[in-house]
Amino acid sequence: MAHHADAKRALDERGYTGSLIRGDNPLKLFEKPVRDRIIESYYWKEQCFGLNAATLLDRALELTFIGGTYGVAQRPTPFLCLAFKLLQLTPDKEIILFYLRQEEFKYLRALAAFYVRLAWEKDAEVYETLEPYLADARKLKRRTREGWTLTHVDEFVDDLLVKSRVCATTLPKLNPRLFLEDEDKLEPRVSALGEELEYMDGSDGESDGEVEELEAMAGEHVSANGNGNGHLVSDDGGESDEEMDGD
Amino acid sequence: MSDRKPDAYGSSAPKTTDTSHRRTWDRTAYAEKAASREAQIKEEGKARYEASLKGQKYHAPHHKSSILNDNEHKFEETHDTSARQARLNVADQVGKTQVIISGAGQGKRGKSAGFYCEVCDLTYKDNLQFVEHLNSRQHLVASGESGEVRRAGLEEVKARFAYLVANRKEAKAREVVDLGERIEVAREVEEREREEKRRRRNEKRRKTEGGVGVVEVKVEGDGVIC
Repeated sequence: MAHHADAKRALDERGYTGSLIRGDNPLKLFEKPVRDRIIESYYWKEQCFGLNAATLLDRALELTFIGGTYGVAQRPTPFLCLAFKLLQLTPDKEIILFYLRQEEFKYLRALAAFYVRLAWEKDAEVYETLEPYLADARKLKRRTREGWTLTHVDEFVDDLLVKSRVCATTLPKLNPRLFLEDEDKLEPRVSALGEELEYMDGSDGESDGEVEELEAMAGEHVSANGNGNGHLVSDDGGESDEEMDGD
Repeated sequence: MSDRKPDAYGSSAPKTTDTSHRRTWDRTAYAEKAASREAQIKEEGKARYEASLKGQKYHAPHHKSSILNDNEHKFEETHDTSARQARLNVADQVGKTQVIISGAGQGKRGKSAGFYCEVCDLTYKDNLQFVEHLNSRQHLVASGESGEVRRAGLEEVKARFAYLVANRKEAKAREVVDLGERIEVAREVEEREREEKRRRRNEKRRKTEGGVGVVEVKVEGDGVIC
């Protein structure tokens, strides 16, 4: 089985034959302006031509930041171009899981997580696959429209599960976790914090610095999974740069 | 016309006329060309007729692939496209001067200033257009690539991953971290560069007569798009 080196065939509206995602051409998950910017960019033309799932690793390991489009001219980041390439290739599930599970390269993991969120259709699977990575606290560099920010792998995964627009793409609709729990498709979420959450429930309002920090982090997760404990999110705004294992 | 009867003054030199400075054409050569072209058209017509009798369509062989025919690839044996191994070094052209034969290029055809593709005999002014060309159907067919990429399975992905990781480890191990050693290495590199420069300067001085040296014309132009 072979696929085309160039994406032109796939982008052509007429007669797309190939794997479908949610009933449509996978490349259409990106909006038209974004698609156009990617296709016209030098990175895409030079580096993303003729990649397959294996040679894509060459490029992915060299990634140093995530991001969507930046600048006045809406230039796409290499991250976005590679995500687009993955959509064109639609690799098998096991390959994507391999990308996700490997520990060494965090940007490759971020790329795979992005793909999972975009391409996989069963909500329960998406949650199950991505939730373990809410424990990965490594730092990621992110290019925003006008500059750079610092984020973390777990923040990024959380954004993917909660927000509606990430990296210049509108994410496809994902049922909130509560719905899935009610329908018994998913177990209620077991947070990685486990006992610390219980401890906090018991000692609400204590001004212990550590507890506050944990509170903030848990608060983020709590709001993410819709766990209805009625727990108030603290004023820290969820800024938790708790160093677990350094980079 | 080469041997003439000696004229009134006894000279048998070829006589110059009004039009001696004008270009002349070799009629026989062109006649041959015309004949061979007509023969080819006839053959193609025959092939088309035969193909239509069978109900198929006749495809003319691409002229470049007939060149490749002799050497390695046959027309049918196109190989799969794969990704570029190395980046196109467009940046190292900056500041360099290139001598170009002025009549060599017509529009895009032929070698002229810019990025030249040898396989297709085309020149592009711009690295973006050049890269687009290298990805195009025209170029792929001319260089015997099929334009299709082989799909990679899990095993291949794992193998590639292992290979890349090993490469990185190796590169890291080779990096010299100790400060003393780094100073040594830097000094050696500098020495070597200085020697090179000295040698080149001496050569240039020796080459020209007055010992003046060749004046280098540096073209400024960082028109590289990236």
